Amino acid sequence: MELFLQQVFNGIMFGSTYAIVALGLTLVMGILNIPNFAHGHLYMLGGYITFFFIGTLGLGFWPSLVLTLIVLGLLGVLMERIVYRPLTDQPHINAFIAAIGALIFLESLALVVWGPQGLRIPNPYPQNFELLGITIGLQRLLVIIGAITLIFGLHVFMKHTILGTTIEAVAQNREGAMLNGINVNRVSAVTFAISSATAAVAASFLSPIFMLSPSMGAILGMKAFIIVILGGMGSIPGAILGGYILGVIEALGGGYISAAYKDVFAFGALIIILTVKPTGIFGKKEA
Amino acid sequence: MLKLNQVHTAIGGLQIIQNVSLEIGKGEFVALLGSNGAGKTTLFRTIAGVLKPHAGSVTFEGVPIDRLPVHKIVERGLVLCPQGRQLFPELSVQKNLLLGAYPIRGEKKRIQKNLDRVYALFPILRERINQKAGTFSGGEQQMLAIGRALMSEPKMLLLDEPSVGLAPLIVKLIADVISNINQEMDTTVFLSEQNANMALNITQRGYVLESGRCVLDGDCQHLKTDEKVRKAYIGA
Ligand SMILES: Nc1ncnc2c1ncn2[C@@H]1O[C@H](COP(=O)(O)OP(=O)(O)OP(=O)(O)O)[C@@H](O)[C@H]1O
Ligand SMILES: [Mg+2]
Repeated sequence: MELFLQQVFNGIMFGSTYAIVALGLTLVMGILNIPNFAHGHLYMLGGYITFFFIGTLGLGFWPSLVLTLIVLGLLGVLMERIVYRPLTDQPHINAFIAAIGALIFLESLALVVWGPQGLRIPNPYPQNFELLGITIGLQRLLVIIGAITLIFGLHVFMKHTILGTTIEAVAQNREGAMLNGINVNRVSAVTFAISSATAAVAASFLSPIFMLSPSMGAILGMKAFIIVILGGMGSIPGAILGGYILGVIEALGGGYISAAYKDVFAFGALIIILTVKPTGIFGKKEA
Repeated sequence: MLKLNQVHTAIGGLQIIQNVSLEIGKGEFVALLGSNGAGKTTLFRTIAGVLKPHAGSVTFEGVPIDRLPVHKIVERGLVLCPQGRQLFPELSVQKNLLLGAYPIRGEKKRIQKNLDRVYALFPILRERINQKAGTFSGGEQQMLAIGRALMSEPKMLLLDEPSVGLAPLIVKLIADVISNINQEMDTTVFLSEQNANMALNITQRGYVLESGRCVLDGDCQHLKTDEKVRKAYIGA
Protein backbone atom coordinates (compact mmCIF):
# COMPACT_ATOMS: atom_id res chain seq x y z
CA MET A 1 0.00 0.00 0.00
CA GLU A 2 2.83 2.40 0.86
CA LEU A 3 4.53 1.64 -2.44
CA PHE A 4 1.27 2.28 -4.24
CA LEU A 5 0.66 5.62 -2.52
CA GLN A 6 4.26 6.65 -2.97
CA GLN A 7 4.09 5.94 -6.68
CA VAL A 8 0.76 7.69 -7.06
CA PHE A 9 2.24 10.75 -5.37
CA ASN A 10 5.26 10.68 -7.67
CA GLY A 11 2.96 10.14 -10.61
CA ILE A 12 0.91 13.18 -9.72
CA MET A 13 4.08 15.19 -9.44
CA PHE A 14 5.31 14.16 -12.88
CA GLY A 15 1.78 14.47 -14.18
CA SER A 16 1.67 18.08 -12.99
CA THR A 17 4.68 18.90 -15.11
CA TYR A 18 3.29 16.98 -18.07
CA ALA A 19 -0.08 18.68 -17.76
CA ILE A 20 1.45 22.17 -17.84
CA VAL A 21 3.71 21.43 -20.78
CA ALA A 22 0.94 19.70 -22.75
CA LEU A 23 -1.46 22.54 -22.00
CA GLY A 24 0.93 25.07 -23.54
CA LEU A 25 1.44 22.83 -26.55
CA THR A 26 -2.30 22.45 -27.10
CA LEU A 27 -2.84 26.20 -26.93
CA VAL A 28 -0.21 26.90 -29.56
CA MET A 29 -1.39 24.07 -31.80
CA GLY A 30 -4.89 25.45 -31.65
CA ILE A 31 -3.74 28.85 -32.86
CA LEU A 32 -1.18 27.84 -35.45
CA ASN A 33 -2.63 24.56 -36.62
CA ILE A 34 0.87 23.24 -36.71
CA PRO A 35 2.72 21.30 -34.01
CA ASN A 36 5.44 23.30 -32.29
CA PHE A 37 8.02 20.53 -32.11
CA ALA A 38 10.29 22.88 -30.19
CA HIS A 39 7.89 23.17 -27.24
CA GLY A 40 9.77 20.66 -25.06
CA HIS A 41 12.95 22.55 -25.80
CA LEU A 42 11.48 25.72 -24.37
CA TYR A 43 10.88 23.72 -21.20
CA MET A 44 14.51 22.57 -21.24
CA LEU A 45 15.73 26.12 -21.75
CA GLY A 46 13.53 27.22 -18.85
CA GLY A 47 15.40 24.78 -16.62
CA TYR A 48 18.76 26.18 -17.70
CA ILE A 49 17.68 29.78 -17.34
CA THR A 50 16.57 28.98 -13.80
CA PHE A 51 19.96 27.40 -13.24
CA PHE A 52 21.59 30.56 -14.54
CA PHE A 53 19.70 32.78 -12.09
CA ILE A 54 20.12 30.50 -9.07
CA GLY A 55 23.44 28.80 -9.72
CA THR A 56 25.36 31.48 -11.61
CA LEU A 57 23.91 34.72 -10.29
CA GLY A 58 23.07 33.36 -6.86
CA LEU A 59 19.49 34.66 -6.76
CA GLY A 60 16.82 33.01 -4.62
CA PHE A 61 14.41 30.39 -5.96
CA TRP A 62 11.32 32.59 -6.27
CA PRO A 63 12.95 35.60 -7.95
CA SER A 64 14.64 33.17 -10.35
CA LEU A 65 11.31 31.57 -11.14
CA VAL A 66 9.71 34.91 -11.96
CA LEU A 67 12.69 35.99 -14.06
CA THR A 68 12.65 32.69 -15.94
CA LEU A 69 8.98 33.18 -16.66
CA ILE A 70 9.66 36.62 -18.13
CA VAL A 71 12.69 35.56 -20.16
CA LEU A 72 10.93 32.56 -21.69
CA GLY A 73 7.75 34.54 -22.28
CA LEU A 74 9.77 37.01 -24.34
CA LEU A 75 11.56 34.19 -26.10
CA GLY A 76 8.18 32.72 -27.03
CA VAL A 77 7.12 36.03 -28.56
CA LEU A 78 10.41 36.20 -30.46
CA MET A 79 10.02 32.66 -31.73
CA GLU A 80 6.50 33.35 -33.00
CA ARG A 81 7.72 36.51 -34.65
CA ILE A 82 10.81 35.22 -36.44
CA VAL A 83 10.15 31.50 -36.89
CA TYR A 84 6.42 31.02 -37.39
CA ARG A 85 4.74 34.25 -38.42
CA PRO A 86 6.61 34.61 -41.71
CA LEU A 87 5.25 31.15 -42.60
CA THR A 88 1.58 31.83 -41.79
CA ASP A 89 0.34 31.51 -45.37
CA GLN A 90 2.87 28.93 -46.49
CA PRO A 91 2.33 25.17 -46.78
CA HIS A 92 2.38 23.41 -43.39
CA ILE A 93 5.54 21.51 -44.24
CA ASN A 94 7.51 24.77 -44.07
CA ALA A 95 6.43 25.36 -40.49
CA PHE A 96 7.29 21.74 -39.64
CA ILE A 97 10.80 22.25 -40.92
CA ALA A 98 11.07 25.61 -39.14
CA ALA A 99 10.01 23.94 -35.88
CA ILE A 100 12.66 21.28 -36.25
CA GLY A 101 15.22 23.97 -37.01
CA ALA A 102 14.19 25.84 -33.88
CA LEU A 103 14.53 22.77 -31.68
CA ILE A 104 17.97 21.90 -33.04
CA PHE A 105 19.03 25.48 -32.45
CA LEU A 106 17.78 25.51 -28.86
CA GLU A 107 19.34 22.17 -27.98
CA SER A 108 22.68 23.14 -29.53
CA LEU A 109 22.55 26.44 -27.68
CA ALA A 110 22.15 24.66 -24.34
CA LEU A 111 24.92 22.27 -25.26
CA VAL A 112 27.34 25.06 -26.15
CA VAL A 113 26.54 27.29 -23.19
CA TRP A 114 26.10 24.72 -20.41
CA GLY A 115 27.78 21.58 -21.75
CA PRO A 116 26.50 18.03 -22.10
CA GLN A 117 26.98 16.98 -18.46
CA GLY A 118 23.98 17.09 -16.13
CA LEU A 119 23.61 20.16 -13.95
CA ARG A 120 21.94 20.41 -10.59
CA ILE A 121 20.14 23.27 -8.92
CA PRO A 122 20.29 23.34 -5.11
CA ASN A 123 16.93 22.27 -3.66
CA PRO A 124 15.37 25.29 -1.91
CA TYR A 125 13.00 23.10 0.11
CA PRO A 126 14.85 19.87 0.98
CA GLN A 127 12.58 19.10 3.96
CA ASN A 128 10.47 15.93 4.03
CA PHE A 129 7.42 14.98 5.99
CA GLU A 130 5.48 11.78 6.52
CA LEU A 131 1.87 11.39 5.49
CA LEU A 132 -0.14 8.15 5.35
CA GLY A 133 3.13 6.27 5.72
CA ILE A 134 4.80 7.83 2.71
CA THR A 135 7.57 10.39 2.53
CA ILE A 136 6.67 13.63 0.88
CA GLY A 137 9.41 16.02 -0.19
CA LEU A 138 8.41 19.64 0.19
CA GLN A 139 9.79 20.62 -3.22
CA ARG A 140 7.83 17.77 -4.82
CA LEU A 141 4.69 19.01 -3.16
CA LEU A 142 5.52 22.46 -4.47
CA VAL A 143 5.66 21.09 -8.04
CA ILE A 144 2.08 19.90 -7.62
CA ILE A 145 0.77 23.03 -5.93
CA GLY A 146 2.53 25.26 -8.44
CA ALA A 147 1.01 23.35 -11.35
CA ILE A 148 -2.48 23.44 -9.92
CA THR A 149 -2.16 27.18 -9.30
CA LEU A 150 -1.00 27.73 -12.88
CA ILE A 151 -3.80 25.61 -14.33
CA PHE A 152 -6.36 27.44 -12.25
CA GLY A 153 -4.91 30.82 -13.24
CA LEU A 154 -4.95 29.90 -16.91
CA HIS A 155 -8.52 28.68 -16.63
CA VAL A 156 -9.65 32.00 -15.17
CA PHE A 157 -7.70 33.87 -17.84
CA MET A 158 -9.14 31.84 -20.71
CA LYS A 159 -12.74 31.78 -19.53
CA HIS A 160 -13.18 35.12 -17.83
CA THR A 161 -11.05 37.67 -19.65
CA ILE A 162 -11.59 39.04 -23.13
CA LEU A 163 -7.93 38.53 -24.06
CA GLY A 164 -8.16 34.87 -23.02
CA THR A 165 -11.36 34.45 -25.00
CA THR A 166 -9.64 35.80 -28.11
CA ILE A 167 -7.24 32.85 -27.95
CA GLU A 168 -10.17 30.45 -28.22
CA ALA A 169 -11.75 32.61 -30.90
CA VAL A 170 -8.65 32.62 -33.11
CA ALA A 171 -8.28 28.86 -32.66
CA GLN A 172 -11.89 28.26 -33.69
CA ASN A 173 -12.10 30.69 -36.60
CA ARG A 174 -9.12 32.76 -37.60
CA GLU A 175 -10.84 34.85 -40.25
CA GLY A 176 -13.92 35.27 -38.07
CA ALA A 177 -11.65 36.62 -35.34
CA MET A 178 -10.01 39.14 -37.70
CA LEU A 179 -13.39 40.35 -38.88
CA ASN A 180 -14.28 41.10 -35.26
CA GLY A 181 -11.36 43.44 -34.99
CA ILE A 182 -9.04 41.00 -33.24
CA ASN A 183 -5.37 41.40 -34.07
CA VAL A 184 -4.61 37.73 -34.71
CA ASN A 185 -0.87 38.25 -34.84
CA ARG A 186 -0.94 39.71 -31.37
CA VAL A 187 -3.06 36.82 -30.14
CA SER A 188 -0.51 34.38 -31.60
CA ALA A 189 2.29 36.22 -29.83
CA VAL A 190 0.42 36.23 -26.51
CA THR A 191 -0.32 32.53 -26.87
CA PHE A 192 3.32 31.77 -27.54
CA ALA A 193 4.36 33.85 -24.56
CA ILE A 194 1.95 32.00 -22.27
CA SER A 195 2.90 28.62 -23.58
CA SER A 196 6.66 29.14 -23.23
CA ALA A 197 6.38 30.91 -19.90
CA THR A 198 4.26 28.14 -18.37
CA ALA A 199 6.59 25.43 -19.70
CA ALA A 200 9.51 27.34 -18.21
CA VAL A 201 7.84 27.63 -14.83
CA ALA A 202 7.16 23.88 -14.85
CA ALA A 203 10.88 23.42 -15.44
CA SER A 204 11.79 25.85 -12.66
CA PHE A 205 9.72 23.87 -10.16
CA LEU A 206 11.07 20.49 -11.20
CA SER A 207 14.73 21.32 -11.79
CA PRO A 208 15.80 21.31 -8.11
CA ILE A 209 14.72 17.63 -8.04
CA PHE A 210 16.09 16.38 -11.35
CA MET A 211 19.30 16.96 -13.22
CA LEU A 212 19.21 19.30 -16.18
CA SER A 213 20.46 18.00 -19.50
CA PRO A 214 20.19 19.42 -23.02
CA SER A 215 18.29 16.33 -24.18
CA MET A 216 15.53 16.53 -21.57
CA GLY A 217 13.50 18.83 -23.81
CA ALA A 218 13.20 16.30 -26.62
CA ILE A 219 11.85 13.58 -24.31
CA LEU A 220 9.37 15.85 -22.60
CA GLY A 221 8.28 17.38 -25.88
CA MET A 222 7.56 13.93 -27.25
CA LYS A 223 5.51 13.06 -24.18
CA ALA A 224 3.61 16.31 -24.45
CA PHE A 225 2.61 15.29 -27.97
CA ILE A 226 1.46 11.92 -26.70
CA ILE A 227 -0.64 13.67 -24.08
CA VAL A 228 -2.17 16.08 -26.56
CA ILE A 229 -3.19 13.20 -28.83
CA LEU A 230 -4.29 11.13 -25.85
CA GLY A 231 -6.42 13.93 -24.45
CA GLY A 232 -7.93 14.82 -27.81
CA MET A 233 -6.41 17.42 -30.13
CA GLY A 234 -6.97 20.96 -29.02
CA SER A 235 -8.76 19.98 -25.80
CA ILE A 236 -7.55 21.83 -22.73
CA PRO A 237 -9.19 19.51 -20.15
CA GLY A 238 -7.84 16.64 -22.26
CA ALA A 239 -4.29 17.94 -21.96
CA ILE A 240 -4.58 18.33 -18.21
CA LEU A 241 -6.19 14.97 -17.54
CA GLY A 242 -3.92 13.30 -20.10
CA GLY A 243 -0.88 14.72 -18.31
CA TYR A 244 -1.92 13.32 -14.95
CA ILE A 245 -2.91 9.95 -16.41
CA LEU A 246 0.44 9.60 -18.13
CA GLY A 247 2.32 10.61 -14.98
CA VAL A 248 0.50 8.07 -12.82
CA ILE A 249 0.76 5.25 -15.37
CA GLU A 250 4.49 5.83 -15.70
CA ALA A 251 5.04 5.94 -11.96
CA LEU A 252 2.99 2.81 -11.27
CA GLY A 253 4.60 0.93 -14.15
CA GLY A 254 8.00 2.10 -12.98
CA GLY A 255 7.35 1.14 -9.36
CA TYR A 256 5.74 -2.25 -9.89
CA ILE A 257 7.33 -3.51 -13.07
CA SER A 258 10.58 -1.79 -13.92
CA ALA A 259 11.79 1.78 -13.83
CA ALA A 260 13.87 1.07 -16.93
CA TYR A 261 10.70 0.66 -18.98
CA LYS A 262 9.12 3.88 -17.72
CA ASP A 263 8.86 5.43 -21.16
CA VAL A 264 7.48 2.25 -22.68
CA PHE A 265 4.37 2.66 -20.54
CA ALA A 266 3.77 6.11 -21.96
CA PHE A 267 3.72 4.88 -25.52
CA GLY A 268 1.82 1.72 -24.55
CA ALA A 269 -0.91 3.84 -22.96
CA LEU A 270 -1.11 5.95 -26.09
CA ILE A 271 -1.59 2.93 -28.32
CA ILE A 272 -4.23 1.37 -26.08
CA ILE A 273 -6.25 4.56 -25.65
CA LEU A 274 -6.16 5.38 -29.33
CA THR A 275 -7.30 1.87 -30.19
CA VAL A 276 -10.30 2.22 -27.89
CA LYS A 277 -11.03 5.87 -28.73
CA PRO A 278 -9.25 7.06 -31.86
CA THR A 279 -10.02 10.73 -31.24
CA GLY A 280 -8.53 10.74 -27.73
CA ILE A 281 -10.29 11.06 -24.40
CA PHE A 282 -11.91 14.44 -25.01
CA GLY A 283 -11.61 14.40 -28.79
CA LYS A 284 -14.35 15.62 -31.08
CA LYS A 285 -15.80 13.38 -33.74
CA GLU A 286 -14.13 15.08 -36.66
CA ALA A 287 -10.99 16.49 -35.08
CA MET B 1 -18.21 57.17 -47.29
CA LEU B 2 -16.85 54.11 -49.11
CA LYS B 3 -15.14 54.49 -52.44
CA LEU B 4 -13.60 51.86 -54.71
CA ASN B 5 -11.51 53.04 -57.60
CA GLN B 6 -10.65 50.52 -60.35
CA VAL B 7 -10.12 47.67 -57.93
CA HIS B 8 -8.56 44.42 -59.16
CA THR B 9 -8.26 41.38 -56.92
CA ALA B 10 -6.64 38.05 -57.69
CA ILE B 11 -6.77 34.80 -55.72
CA GLY B 12 -3.93 32.36 -56.28
CA GLY B 13 -2.91 34.12 -59.47
CA LEU B 14 -6.45 34.05 -60.82
CA GLN B 15 -8.07 37.39 -61.65
CA ILE B 16 -11.41 37.48 -59.82
CA ILE B 17 -12.37 41.14 -59.43
CA GLN B 18 -11.68 43.29 -62.45
CA ASN B 19 -11.79 47.02 -62.53
CA VAL B 20 -14.60 47.62 -60.06
CA SER B 21 -15.36 51.21 -59.12
CA LEU B 22 -18.22 52.23 -56.88
CA GLU B 23 -19.18 54.78 -54.29
CA ILE B 24 -21.54 54.61 -51.34
CA GLY B 25 -22.61 57.64 -49.35
CA LYS B 26 -23.31 57.94 -45.64
CA GLY B 27 -26.62 56.43 -44.61
CA GLU B 28 -27.24 54.72 -47.92
CA PHE B 29 -28.63 51.20 -48.29
CA VAL B 30 -27.13 49.60 -51.37
CA ALA B 31 -27.40 46.14 -52.94
CA LEU B 32 -24.71 44.09 -54.66
CA LEU B 33 -26.35 41.59 -57.00
CA GLY B 34 -24.73 38.70 -58.78
CA SER B 35 -25.16 35.00 -59.37
CA ASN B 36 -23.00 32.16 -58.01
CA GLY B 37 -19.34 32.89 -58.50
CA ALA B 38 -19.87 36.44 -59.73
CA GLY B 39 -17.34 37.68 -57.17
CA LYS B 40 -19.53 39.25 -54.48
CA THR B 41 -17.72 37.55 -51.62
CA THR B 42 -14.33 38.29 -53.13
CA LEU B 43 -15.24 41.96 -53.48
CA PHE B 44 -16.45 42.16 -49.87
CA ARG B 45 -13.35 40.40 -48.57
CA THR B 46 -11.28 42.91 -50.50
CA ILE B 47 -13.12 45.84 -48.94
CA ALA B 48 -12.77 44.30 -45.47
CA GLY B 49 -9.03 43.87 -45.98
CA VAL B 50 -8.93 40.07 -45.88
CA LEU B 51 -7.73 40.13 -49.49
CA LYS B 52 -5.46 42.86 -50.82
CA PRO B 53 -6.23 44.34 -54.26
CA HIS B 54 -3.25 44.27 -56.61
CA ALA B 55 -4.45 47.40 -58.35
CA GLY B 56 -6.85 50.20 -57.55
CA SER B 57 -7.75 51.73 -54.22
CA VAL B 58 -10.33 51.44 -51.46
CA THR B 59 -11.00 54.49 -49.32
CA PHE B 60 -13.26 54.74 -46.30
CA GLU B 61 -14.21 58.21 -45.06
CA GLY B 62 -11.48 59.61 -47.24
CA VAL B 63 -8.74 57.37 -45.82
CA PRO B 64 -7.10 54.67 -47.98
CA ILE B 65 -7.71 51.34 -46.26
CA ASP B 66 -6.54 48.81 -48.83
CA ARG B 67 -3.15 48.33 -47.14
CA LEU B 68 -4.49 48.19 -43.58
CA PRO B 69 -4.75 44.94 -41.64
CA VAL B 70 -8.32 43.69 -41.16
CA HIS B 71 -8.60 44.65 -37.49
CA LYS B 72 -7.60 48.26 -38.23
CA ILE B 73 -10.41 48.51 -40.77
CA VAL B 74 -12.87 47.15 -38.22
CA GLU B 75 -11.64 49.73 -35.71
CA ARG B 76 -12.51 52.44 -38.24
CA GLY B 77 -16.11 51.27 -38.20
CA LEU B 78 -16.31 49.20 -41.38
CA VAL B 79 -17.50 45.69 -40.48
CA LEU B 80 -18.14 42.65 -42.68
CA CYS B 81 -20.72 40.07 -41.68
CA PRO B 82 -19.26 37.28 -43.79
CA GLN B 83 -20.81 34.59 -45.93
CA GLY B 84 -20.72 31.31 -44.01
CA ARG B 85 -21.06 33.43 -40.85
CA GLN B 86 -17.62 32.57 -39.45
CA LEU B 87 -18.93 32.19 -35.89
CA PHE B 88 -16.98 30.68 -33.02
CA PRO B 89 -18.78 27.35 -32.85
CA GLU B 90 -17.53 26.18 -29.44
CA LEU B 91 -18.29 29.46 -27.71
CA SER B 92 -21.63 30.52 -26.28
CA VAL B 93 -23.94 33.04 -27.90
CA GLN B 94 -23.00 35.57 -25.27
CA LYS B 95 -19.26 35.14 -25.86
CA ASN B 96 -19.67 35.39 -29.62
CA LEU B 97 -21.47 38.68 -29.10
CA LEU B 98 -18.89 39.95 -26.62
CA LEU B 99 -16.13 39.18 -29.11
CA GLY B 100 -18.05 41.28 -31.62
CA ALA B 101 -17.57 44.13 -29.17
CA TYR B 102 -13.80 43.58 -29.12
CA PRO B 103 -13.03 46.98 -30.71
CA ILE B 104 -14.83 48.71 -27.83
CA ARG B 105 -13.61 46.32 -25.12
CA GLY B 106 -13.52 47.81 -21.68
CA GLU B 107 -16.44 50.14 -22.33
CA LYS B 108 -18.84 48.17 -20.17
CA LYS B 109 -21.86 50.44 -20.45
CA ARG B 110 -21.67 50.73 -24.20
CA ILE B 111 -21.26 46.98 -24.59
CA GLN B 112 -24.26 46.31 -22.36
CA LYS B 113 -26.34 48.79 -24.34
CA ASN B 114 -25.38 47.13 -27.63
CA LEU B 115 -26.03 43.69 -26.17
CA ASP B 116 -29.54 44.77 -25.16
CA ARG B 117 -30.08 46.22 -28.61
CA VAL B 118 -29.09 42.96 -30.32
CA TYR B 119 -31.31 40.95 -27.98
CA ALA B 120 -34.16 43.29 -28.79
CA LEU B 121 -33.63 42.69 -32.52
CA PHE B 122 -33.35 38.92 -32.09
CA PRO B 123 -35.15 37.85 -28.90
CA ILE B 124 -34.30 34.21 -29.62
CA LEU B 125 -30.62 34.96 -28.90
CA ARG B 126 -31.49 36.11 -25.40
CA GLU B 127 -33.21 32.81 -24.70
CA ARG B 128 -30.10 30.94 -25.81
CA ILE B 129 -27.39 33.00 -24.14
CA ASN B 130 -25.40 29.97 -23.00
CA GLN B 131 -25.92 27.73 -26.01
CA LYS B 132 -22.90 27.02 -28.19
CA ALA B 133 -23.08 28.80 -31.54
CA GLY B 134 -22.18 25.61 -33.40
CA THR B 135 -25.39 23.92 -32.28
CA PHE B 136 -27.58 26.63 -33.82
CA SER B 137 -29.74 26.24 -36.92
CA GLY B 138 -28.78 28.16 -40.05
CA GLY B 139 -31.25 30.95 -39.39
CA GLU B 140 -30.21 31.35 -35.78
CA GLN B 141 -26.56 31.40 -36.81
CA GLN B 142 -27.29 34.16 -39.30
CA MET B 143 -29.03 36.19 -36.61
CA LEU B 144 -26.07 35.69 -34.31
CA ALA B 145 -23.65 36.71 -37.06
CA ILE B 146 -25.58 39.92 -37.72
CA GLY B 147 -25.86 40.58 -34.01
CA ARG B 148 -22.16 40.05 -33.54
CA ALA B 149 -21.35 42.45 -36.38
CA LEU B 150 -23.50 45.13 -34.72
CA MET B 151 -21.81 44.87 -31.34
CA SER B 152 -19.06 47.36 -32.17
CA GLU B 153 -21.58 49.91 -33.57
CA PRO B 154 -20.16 49.93 -37.11
CA LYS B 155 -20.64 53.03 -39.22
CA MET B 156 -20.94 50.79 -42.23
CA LEU B 157 -21.99 47.17 -42.44
CA LEU B 158 -21.20 44.80 -45.30
CA LEU B 159 -23.65 41.89 -45.30
CA ASP B 160 -22.68 38.97 -47.50
CA GLU B 161 -25.70 36.92 -48.59
CA PRO B 162 -27.52 36.77 -45.27
CA SER B 163 -30.54 35.04 -46.84
CA VAL B 164 -28.75 32.11 -48.45
CA GLY B 165 -30.25 28.74 -47.54
CA LEU B 166 -32.90 30.14 -45.21
CA ALA B 167 -36.65 29.60 -45.13
CA PRO B 168 -38.79 32.43 -46.58
CA LEU B 169 -40.13 33.40 -43.17
CA ILE B 170 -36.63 33.83 -41.75
CA VAL B 171 -35.54 35.73 -44.87
CA LYS B 172 -38.42 38.13 -44.25
CA LEU B 173 -37.43 38.59 -40.63
CA ILE B 174 -33.80 39.21 -41.50
CA ALA B 175 -34.75 41.65 -44.28
CA ASP B 176 -36.82 43.62 -41.75
CA VAL B 177 -33.96 43.71 -39.29
CA ILE B 178 -31.50 44.90 -41.92
CA SER B 179 -33.85 47.70 -42.98
CA ASN B 180 -34.19 48.62 -39.36
CA ILE B 181 -30.40 48.70 -38.92
CA ASN B 182 -30.15 51.09 -41.84
CA GLN B 183 -33.05 53.34 -40.89
CA GLU B 184 -33.24 53.43 -37.10
CA MET B 185 -29.60 52.88 -36.28
CA ASP B 186 -28.34 55.10 -39.04
CA THR B 187 -25.87 52.52 -40.28
CA THR B 188 -24.77 52.53 -43.91
CA VAL B 189 -25.47 49.06 -45.34
CA PHE B 190 -24.02 47.30 -48.36
CA LEU B 191 -25.92 44.05 -48.91
CA SER B 192 -24.84 41.27 -51.27
CA GLU B 193 -27.57 38.95 -52.49
CA GLN B 194 -28.46 36.39 -55.11
CA ASN B 195 -32.00 36.87 -53.93
CA ALA B 196 -32.54 40.00 -56.02
CA ASN B 197 -36.21 40.12 -55.14
CA MET B 198 -35.54 40.58 -51.49
CA ALA B 199 -32.59 42.92 -51.98
CA LEU B 200 -34.30 45.23 -54.47
CA ASN B 201 -37.33 45.54 -52.24
CA ILE B 202 -35.44 46.89 -49.28
CA THR B 203 -32.44 48.77 -50.72
CA GLN B 204 -32.35 52.12 -52.47
CA ARG B 205 -30.01 51.28 -55.33
CA GLY B 206 -27.71 48.51 -56.47
CA TYR B 207 -24.73 47.29 -58.44
CA VAL B 208 -24.77 44.16 -60.58
CA LEU B 209 -21.63 42.05 -60.69
CA GLU B 210 -20.89 39.53 -63.44
CA SER B 211 -17.66 37.55 -63.71
CA GLY B 212 -15.94 40.00 -61.41
CA ARG B 213 -16.98 43.09 -63.38
CA CYS B 214 -19.54 45.65 -62.48
CA VAL B 215 -21.93 45.52 -65.45
CA LEU B 216 -24.83 47.63 -64.29
CA ASP B 217 -25.88 50.00 -61.55
CA GLY B 218 -28.82 52.21 -60.77
CA ASP B 219 -31.71 52.73 -58.40
CA CYS B 220 -33.90 49.80 -57.50
CA GLN B 221 -36.93 50.84 -59.52
CA HIS B 222 -34.72 51.01 -62.57
CA LEU B 223 -32.98 47.68 -61.88
CA LYS B 224 -36.25 45.88 -61.21
CA THR B 225 -37.52 46.74 -64.66
CA ASP B 226 -34.23 46.04 -66.41
CA GLU B 227 -34.67 43.13 -68.80
CA LYS B 228 -31.33 41.52 -67.98
CA VAL B 229 -31.84 41.73 -64.24
CA ARG B 230 -35.32 40.28 -64.52
CA LYS B 231 -34.10 37.36 -66.58
CA ALA B 232 -31.01 36.59 -64.54
CA TYR B 233 -32.07 37.26 -60.97
CA ILE B 234 -35.77 37.49 -60.60
CA GLY B 235 -36.79 34.71 -62.91
CA ALA B 236 -39.62 36.54 -64.58
N1 LIG C 1 -10.06 30.74 -52.39
C1 LIG C 1 -10.33 30.68 -53.71
N2 LIG C 1 -9.51 30.03 -54.56
C2 LIG C 1 -9.76 29.97 -55.88
N3 LIG C 1 -10.81 30.54 -56.45
C3 LIG C 1 -11.66 31.21 -55.67
C4 LIG C 1 -11.47 31.32 -54.26
N4 LIG C 1 -12.48 32.05 -53.76
C5 LIG C 1 -13.25 32.38 -54.79
N5 LIG C 1 -12.78 31.88 -55.93
C6 LIG C 1 -13.38 32.04 -57.26
O1 LIG C 1 -13.71 33.37 -57.44
C7 LIG C 1 -14.94 33.50 -58.13
C8 LIG C 1 -15.87 34.41 -57.35
O2 LIG C 1 -16.20 33.78 -56.13
P1 LIG C 1 -17.05 34.49 -55.01
O3 LIG C 1 -17.11 33.57 -53.85
O4 LIG C 1 -16.51 35.84 -54.78
O5 LIG C 1 -18.48 34.59 -55.71
P2 LIG C 1 -19.88 34.98 -55.09
O6 LIG C 1 -20.47 35.97 -55.99
O7 LIG C 1 -19.73 35.35 -53.68
O8 LIG C 1 -20.70 33.63 -55.23
P3 LIG C 1 -21.81 32.99 -54.24
O9 LIG C 1 -23.08 33.72 -54.55
O10 LIG C 1 -21.87 31.58 -54.67
O11 LIG C 1 -21.35 33.18 -52.86
C9 LIG C 1 -15.46 32.10 -58.33
O12 LIG C 1 -15.22 31.71 -59.66
C10 LIG C 1 -14.66 31.27 -57.38
O13 LIG C 1 -14.46 29.98 -57.89
MG1 LIG D 1 -20.43 34.70 -52.01
